[in-house]
Amino acid sequence: MFNVFKLWITKDIVLEKVPDIKAIDVDSLLKDLSRIKKLDTNTRTALSRSLIIRHLDTGSCNAEEAELIALSNPFYDISRFGIEFTASPRHADVLTVTGPVTRHLKIAMEKTYNAMPKPKIVVAIGDGACNGSIYEKTYACLGRVDQFLPVDIYIPGDPPSPEQILKGLLTCKVLLAQKEKKNG
Amino acid sequence: MDQKSNIQLDNLIEKVKELLVIQDNYKILDSNHLEILIDKDLLAKTAELLVNSSDLNASLITLTAVDSRKTERAYTLYTVFSINKLNCLLSLKTLIEEKNPSYPAISKVIPSLNWHEREIHDLFGIIPEGIELPPLVLHRDWHPGKNFPMRKDFPKDSQIPITEHELEFQGPHGEGFHQIAVGPIHAGIIEPGHLRFCALGEEIHKFDAQLFYTHKGIEKMAEGKTPEECLEISEHICGMCSFSHSVAYCLALETLANTAIPERAVFIRMVFLELERLASHLADLMAISSSGGFAFASAYSATLREVIMRINHELTGSRFLRGLNIIGGLQKDIPDKSFNNLTVKLEKFNTDFKDLEKLILNSDSLLDRLELTGLLPKEKAKSLGLVGPPARASEIDTDIRRDNSYLAYKRYKLNVPIYDTYDALARTQVRIDEVYESVKLIKNIIEDLPSGKISVEINSYLKLTPSVGFIESPKGELVHWVMLNNDGKILRFHVRSASYMNWMGVVQATMGNNIVPDGPLVNKSFNLCYACVDR
Repeated sequence: MFNVFKLWITKDIVLEKVPDIKAIDVDSLLKDLSRIKKLDTNTRTALSRSLIIRHLDTGSCNAEEAELIALSNPFYDISRFGIEFTASPRHADVLTVTGPVTRHLKIAMEKTYNAMPKPKIVVAIGDGACNGSIYEKTYACLGRVDQFLPVDIYIPGDPPSPEQILKGLLTCKVLLAQKEKKNG
Repeated sequence: MDQKSNIQLDNLIEKVKELLVIQDNYKILDSNHLEILIDKDLLAKTAELLVNSSDLNASLITLTAVDSRKTERAYTLYTVFSINKLNCLLSLKTLIEEKNPSYPAISKVIPSLNWHEREIHDLFGIIPEGIELPPLVLHRDWHPGKNFPMRKDFPKDSQIPITEHELEFQGPHGEGFHQIAVGPIHAGIIEPGHLRFCALGEEIHKFDAQLFYTHKGIEKMAEGKTPEECLEISEHICGMCSFSHSVAYCLALETLANTAIPERAVFIRMVFLELERLASHLADLMAISSSGGFAFASAYSATLREVIMRINHELTGSRFLRGLNIIGGLQKDIPDKSFNNLTVKLEKFNTDFKDLEKLILNSDSLLDRLELTGLLPKEKAKSLGLVGPPARASEIDTDIRRDNSYLAYKRYKLNVPIYDTYDALARTQVRIDEVYESVKLIKNIIEDLPSGKISVEINSYLKLTPSVGFIESPKGELVHWVMLNNDGKILRFHVRSASYMNWMGVVQATMGNNIVPDGPLVNKSFNLCYACVDR
């Protein structure tokens, strides 16, 4: 892996093969590609557009954050899909939320959501955000995210793998295009 | 093993007798845990005596309260010490009457307990006398009155209305000073917490933080659950160290059941603890290099971390090693063949990691950022009670894998990296050295891997007896404190993570002659989990 980088930097070419990708099933990947060709133009256009994400931790156990960070590593390289994380909610198309909503973060969560321009999409990532998981209602834990925000896409998992998150985010692109069309 | 520990416990009793007046007020909880009943007025003095005694060299690991009004008609405080030399634990039990729930504060003499005492004040309404008590765990919009959430008469799901409130920070005022507020929602993909820099120009004069944004009341959630249900909760306290949490919890419960788990399970647990350490340290290196502006090293660390995460997934089916531990051993066995494969993979990992080390330690621009940034001298680190890699970077020779024997770490010789430069670079170097140590350790453990059963059945647990799981998580010492009620359900579950101890270290290191852009770098050189702290 290091040699790949070195060659890439010094000679501007890549001679070596990419690292072990056994975990990805190549056949189904090819099938997926052929499926993409069969997609209608609207969806294909939607997939080719960029997606800007504001991430919000409302009380997760930080496993979901670790997987979101992993999406930017050279294995998944999320930016090749035109997906970027942004610092300001005002630039964001999508709000990804992880963890059950805690008492102390409820106001910050609402403020972040309200600061986003329309159309906006909310994605709940992980069991904590989707259904509350093992986190019961207590004096400090208020419950799952869709009690407070309109959630469009759920990506359950404990935590969901980077592939699953990626799949969910690509779906966001299509949903966003649909929402834009609807709003004119 | 048990008999040997007993000898050490006798040893401990003798030594304690030299220091304190104890007659019948002690109780042996298990083969290496001694409990002494102490009057609340003597508590602080006794704690100070134990910590300062060069003979015992006790280190204070946690302080927790239990609402035992039903059984004892009083609240109970447990102050837990670890006597590493004798491989024993020592608890001071103090009763605090219901009518006047207060006691002289320990943190007046042992400052590292400040957060513990403030937390107990917030959650139980027990007042440590003689220290300032600004709210810590519960934010300022929580008006206590009689609402102390960890008391048993506070219903589990009852809630208090939320109101928007101003954060309060003390700091220098005057011309030129300005405050920079950061968070609770940060720019990147990190956990929430509010940081406040008070700067004069570029220089940081005061730095403080408001944490506990992700406080979910996990300790309250656990109450009334069966030990097995609580295991799942313990795994979900923190993602970065979920295996460490579940091991610490299992160790505490296995002590209560008075069971030794099979050898094979012990060794497999050690392999995964070390794999978790590798993943965590690589995440730390990734964060440090990206905060230092070195994207290439950051991407490279991320790649290596992903390699470890995929190994985890291949071996256990979970990238975060969840669902593997059960009380009494392991959920499923992992074939020897997979472990041999792991050795081969780690060989390659080791060569790749050498490249990363060269990258980080030979890059002048990164070194320039790291050197002399975030200094935390030894004395300060000691008084704050720092643990784990940041402590070792401040010249404190501690690693409970070596000092205290849990699982089978005593069998292996462990080189503990100690640095006397106290800066962000030292904290980076400690992690780099520990990665090599862990790889070596995993290889040795796999060579010695015994065959046989992987779990034992557990029939009953001791009731109303405190038990402690004490291990070295990737971030440092991790303590799980568990007590069961008469029905065998959880009466009190208390977690003191390494990050909880190290937070004041971040605050102190940031204030030491740094400029504002160094703030994130100092923070990342500790790279603490907020989820572990907040719970």
